[in-house]
Amino acid sequence: MGMMTLYHGEPNGPSLTVLAALYETGLDADLVPIDLSLGERHRKAPLGVESAMSIEGEGPVLEVNGEAMADSVFLAQYLDERAGGAGLQPSDPLAHWEMMMWCRYIIERVAPAAAYLGNRAHGTARLKNLDGPAFDMLTDAISSVDLKQRWIDIRNGDFDEAKVADSATKISEAVDKLEERLADGRDWLMGDFSIADLESYAWLAGMVSILPSAFDRAENATAWMVRVKARPSVAAALACAQSDDPTTAWAPGPEINRWG
Amino acid sequence: MTEQVALYHWEPNANSGKPMLALAEKGVAYESHYTDLLSFDQHKPEYLKMNPNGTIPVMKHGDRVLTESTAIMEYVNEAFDGTALMPEDVQARWRIRWWMKFMDQWLGPSFSMLGWSMFVGPSVRQKDPAELDAAIERIPLPERRTAWRKAISGNFSDAEMAESKRRVALGVEMLEAELGRHDYVASDEYSLADINWFNSTYSLPLGQPDLAGKDRTPNIMRWLKQVYHRPAVQETWTKGRTDLASRYRLVMEEID
Ligand SMILES: N[C@@H](CCC(=O)N[C@@H](CS)C(=O)NCC(=O)O)C(=O)O
Repeated sequence: MGMMTLYHGEPNGPSLTVLAALYETGLDADLVPIDLSLGERHRKAPLGVESAMSIEGEGPVLEVNGEAMADSVFLAQYLDERAGGAGLQPSDPLAHWEMMMWCRYIIERVAPAAAYLGNRAHGTARLKNLDGPAFDMLTDAISSVDLKQRWIDIRNGDFDEAKVADSATKISEAVDKLEERLADGRDWLMGDFSIADLESYAWLAGMVSILPSAFDRAENATAWMVRVKARPSVAAALACAQSDDPTTAWAPGPEINRWG
Repeated sequence: MTEQVALYHWEPNANSGKPMLALAEKGVAYESHYTDLLSFDQHKPEYLKMNPNGTIPVMKHGDRVLTESTAIMEYVNEAFDGTALMPEDVQARWRIRWWMKFMDQWLGPSFSMLGWSMFVGPSVRQKDPAELDAAIERIPLPERRTAWRKAISGNFSDAEMAESKRRVALGVEMLEAELGRHDYVASDEYSLADINWFNSTYSLPLGQPDLAGKDRTPNIMRWLKQVYHRPAVQETWTKGRTDLASRYRLVMEEID
């Protein structure tokens, strides 16, 4: 089936989902850490249309048979299916649909909001440290015009206050949704553990310090976060960190929906 | 599973066309509920009970209510026997999902903006303004309320229209290149990715001859023709009511 090489960033957001999914499956892959927050994915990872144009933004790249694969939820599904079903996706069609709907909600509404707030809190300061030529070298390697613009906006500290407020609302709504989902005492979002837990945790873990108020009364969601973090696969993914606190590692993510 | 399938859909294109074609490929008979987007049927109370987001399509299977066109297609493929619409090859399955997401969340919204400014907006603009205002107030998603307002008043900004045009042109180029790498979108077999992309691109040679046509995009033309001739497509097109449906025939003539 072809050897796998995973070019991943700090275990936060999409890199966390894919690293943890890999450990869940027990499959073998070469791991190559790259600094997504310096745009290294465009220079140090293999390129292909699906990685260059990924609308997830700066996520990990999995190389298999010379193809550069991207997008964390689909990579997690790939790993699960390549392992012959590692239990990361329900097999019942309705339960599977529910998981895909949940992941779509995270990808489409929550991830853009989290990336907006995360980059505002941590990305701008880091990129300001780069001098002009170094930043130009970074963005010159990016072929997606809209992704490049998100890099420029972040470096300039160009954040629209209406979008900041809306992003905070989206994060609070997501925590409420988790709270409600877990209210029946279940351990995991879909009943059994699944990619939905990984993807939700990966985008929300960094929000606890940025938007603590969203988690104030969220007992179930907070307990669920502790459970996810304690899973051996997630602990192993977090052990790949090169910095003290990977929840502060952000690079441009998906764009905020321009249509609705 | 023998429970009845009911589909709430608009014209057989964009999002409605996805479950329509997937069901037809599988040979699953369904009760068709034409939901008129231009009469705001999707924001009526009975409809919102099924889909609180107020978007088309919705599929019922027995007592299950499913929304989101691409996710519905995956359900249809998994829940019913018949032609497999996802290949066995795991890497191809990944690629198919990638291309569907790219359409649904990056290219599709740009097609929508252009379509709404040229077709949907002008089609409803003549209605009574008070009636239109009331209709807009019933729209549940705030982003959609804004989109409808702009479509009706023709107020999409030059910058957003230019960005949508840029994306459509690039998306067409990417499709052309992809159909040079594979026989079908994202793999060498007909799959959900073809249904997904076909629904938003079938009329390109007619609507955007500057972007797609015999000389400029031979791969796209080859692929459109293959998909056109599928019995499921022919059967599904008879369910359209607006002149979108007659455009299909014109495109056909252009290609054959
Ligand atoms: N992501 C949804 C989008 C559905 C959607 O936007 N459908 C359009 C028709 S193609 C619609 O309902 N528009 C009417 C409206 O927004 O009021 C899906 O794929 O099902």
